[in-house]
Amino acid sequence: MEEQARQPRQGDLSWRLSSHPITLLFFLGFRISSLFMYLFGIWLLSKNFVLCFIIVMLLLAADFYYLKNIAGRRLVGLRWWNEVDTNTGNSHWVFESQDRSGEGGQNATDKRFFWLALYAQPALWVGLAIFAIVKFEFIWLSLVVIALVLTITNTVAFSRCDKFSQASNLASTAMYSGGLARSIAGGMFSRLFR
Amino acid sequence: MAMMASATTGNPYEHYDNTQIEQDLIDPDDANINDFDDPVQSNSDRAPLTGNIQSSSSRNPLPQGYLNSSIPGEDRRAPSNTIDESVWETLSRDLRAVWEKMRQVLWPKYLLGGILQRGGGIGAAERGEGESLAGGIRGIAGRWPDADVVLQGEMSEGLRDWDLWGPLIFCLLLSLLLSMPSSSDQKTAVFSGVFAMVWIGEAVVTMQIKLLGGNISFFQSICIIGYTLFPLVIAAMLSALYLPTIARIPVYLVLIAWSLAAGVSILGGSGVVKNRVGIAVYPLFVFYVGLGCLCFIT
Repeated sequence: MEEQARQPRQGDLSWRLSSHPITLLFFLGFRISSLFMYLFGIWLLSKNFVLCFIIVMLLLAADFYYLKNIAGRRLVGLRWWNEVDTNTGNSHWVFESQDRSGEGGQNATDKRFFWLALYAQPALWVGLAIFAIVKFEFIWLSLVVIALVLTITNTVAFSRCDKFSQASNLASTAMYSGGLARSIAGGMFSRLFR
Repeated sequence: MAMMASATTGNPYEHYDNTQIEQDLIDPDDANINDFDDPVQSNSDRAPLTGNIQSSSSRNPLPQGYLNSSIPGEDRRAPSNTIDESVWETLSRDLRAVWEKMRQVLWPKYLLGGILQRGGGIGAAERGEGESLAGGIRGIAGRWPDADVVLQGEMSEGLRDWDLWGPLIFCLLLSLLLSMPSSSDQKTAVFSGVFAMVWIGEAVVTMQIKLLGGNISFFQSICIIGYTLFPLVIAAMLSALYLPTIARIPVYLVLIAWSLAAGVSILGGSGVVKNRVGIAVYPLFVFYVGLGCLCFIT
């Protein structure tokens, strides 16, 4: 009612502003449901540890996969993966970014949801890890550690990917407009206050 | 080559240019050295892709100097254009990749004692038969430039991109199936025990291969070992269905051999120093046999 009256600004965490609502829904769904199952699954499944563990693991894996391969590129136009050089066995990270110079970039609401969820999730798991250590629940701690590894990997990779894409965007705008120094300075400036 | 080209008038091999058969073997005199495939460097199927990346990044020189991060990486402006594809395309591509890996396990290239397919150059190479096979392989796949590369062992197409779906699913299934017959107060212990044992075992086997000089990445090896757990999952399922003990012995031996054959045929050629393949494979053997015994006693 009040929300209807208020004109939603661009970038607000409002549902109707998203340009990929279904992707966003699934993304937040996977993120929240893994946490939810971890916290309440043991009561829902009548103290069946094994089933609860499996469900949380599968949800975590689905969340990892969905964020890495689908949500990342649909919501913010970023993607990363790890590639192995078969001759040496070394692996290196590859970052892919959508060319944003053309069509004005992604939806600001999607972006905010994405980055918020990306950074909030590891923080919440860290809190749960401390909780598990305090309560001496080491079996659950193993699950938390797996969750932390998965979420932190994605967080680090995506923030790194974002840096790379900003760098290459900077480079391409600088190439096209010619104002190299101004463009770099502007980019640094906007990064500081983002 | 350039010197040969300048002295081409007195070249006694001039008539070689006219023969049809030899044309692929003799380099044309006017060719530049850079046009040829470099046998030393990576000549895999990825090569055209890599070229694409380098050219695109040279067009957009990146100011990466101020990105001081410990993770080395590479920026790519969507060379294969996977960033705008639909969700279904992503899912089907990844499912196909998983199926490709499963296929490698279901039909191991190199069964114990023999070579099933021509592609089993890895297995042959490690047994010292590489020399006799190298010529044949070079004929089959003209892109493989050198016997050395074959000896090093080429990872097959689908296994280059690792994923952890196989290890995760099979590990969970194995733990679940093994914990099912046990009494209710032991279930949790059995489940977590098997779960930890599988992951630690995979890590140890991988470390062994890495330390012996294998050129395989950590997660790639975990991925392959995880997928080869599939026959053991069948064994665990039979145990959960209370297969009689007498019948278990031959069936489980076959299943363990199947796992081992798949593991060896995929991992065996991963660049381990030539005479140490046995040492590299031995922990893998112990790992499979241990899990098999676990299936046996439940």
